[in-house]
Amino acid sequence: MEKELWMTAQFNHYLAGPANAVLNAVQTPAQNPASPWTDWMVCELLVVLFMVLFFALVRMRLSVDKPGKTQHVMELIYEFFHASAEEVVGHDGPKYLTFFGTLFLFILFMNLIGLIPGLESPTMYTMVPLGLAVVTFVFYHATGMRAHGFGYVKQFLGPFWWLAWLMLPIELISHAARPLSLTVRLFANMFAGEQVYLTFLVLTKVILPVVFIGLHLFVGVLQAYIFMLLAMVYVGGAVSHEH
Amino acid sequence: MKNKLTLLAFSLLVLASPMMAQGTTGDPSDNNRRAAAYIAMGIASGLCGLGQGRATASAAEAMARNPGAVAAIRVALILGLVLIESLALYTLVITFIAK
Repeated sequence: MEKELWMTAQFNHYLAGPANAVLNAVQTPAQNPASPWTDWMVCELLVVLFMVLFFALVRMRLSVDKPGKTQHVMELIYEFFHASAEEVVGHDGPKYLTFFGTLFLFILFMNLIGLIPGLESPTMYTMVPLGLAVVTFVFYHATGMRAHGFGYVKQFLGPFWWLAWLMLPIELISHAARPLSLTVRLFANMFAGEQVYLTFLVLTKVILPVVFIGLHLFVGVLQAYIFMLLAMVYVGGAVSHEH
Repeated sequence: MKNKLTLLAFSLLVLASPMMAQGTTGDPSDNNRRAAAYIAMGIASGLCGLGQGRATASAAEAMARNPGAVAAIRVALILGLVLIESLALYTLVITFIAK
């Protein structure tokens, strides 16, 4: 039985019943019914709870006349998202800003929560980036279909009708590789960062691991930004009007 | 100079030959897998390093030539670097999951 975090142990102690009920309802019983909560599920829920509380608090304190420091910071972040969306996706980029912003902040907080001792990054486990990548995949195809109707399929057929037999498999394969690359990129960056940190913690106990924590922090922020940027690029490609 | 390098390389390989005398506790396929993983990761990291070096060099030169477009070039640079980086990471994942 592998070691679990203190937080996970608390969840398993108090909330094992509801978790088992939910898992049995979807026909995937837990591997160990005494502890159905996994580390990453617990940390993911903590991140969601933190985000909801934080943004609810910010929302309550928004004001036009006397903006506080938090409001300034949030406005800066919002401006950054808005400019990125408009530049990458095109003119109606900001329509999808809720999705992109949530994606970025969710991945950012999930990456950063691993730096707190006693908690760990949910993105270090393959399932979490896979879930995010599948959601992004479904989202950009859905927006493409909403923008173009059934003419969305014409994008897969290439510029000339006599090349369609060649373009269709190529386009299908490249579109299928997108969630794979999104998953592997996020997972491998977080996993490798943690492994490198652990390795250096064993080798040199004091100073060098701090450098690797700094690198892990930077990589976490960068990977969250890249996930959002790639989601924007895919949505831009799906929604683009050639004429 | 070339003869000295050849002599150095050859002597390094000869000096490493006691490695063959190690007893292996695992089965040979496990050691072969590990050796292949090391070589694969080395090649992947080296080539991705070269690619990222070229990307950064041309991005820096473009930013120097056209300071007005720095923001757009920075976005393209970051995107390109991350996409090249992910290729090295695919190799890392394969080294973990290959049997």
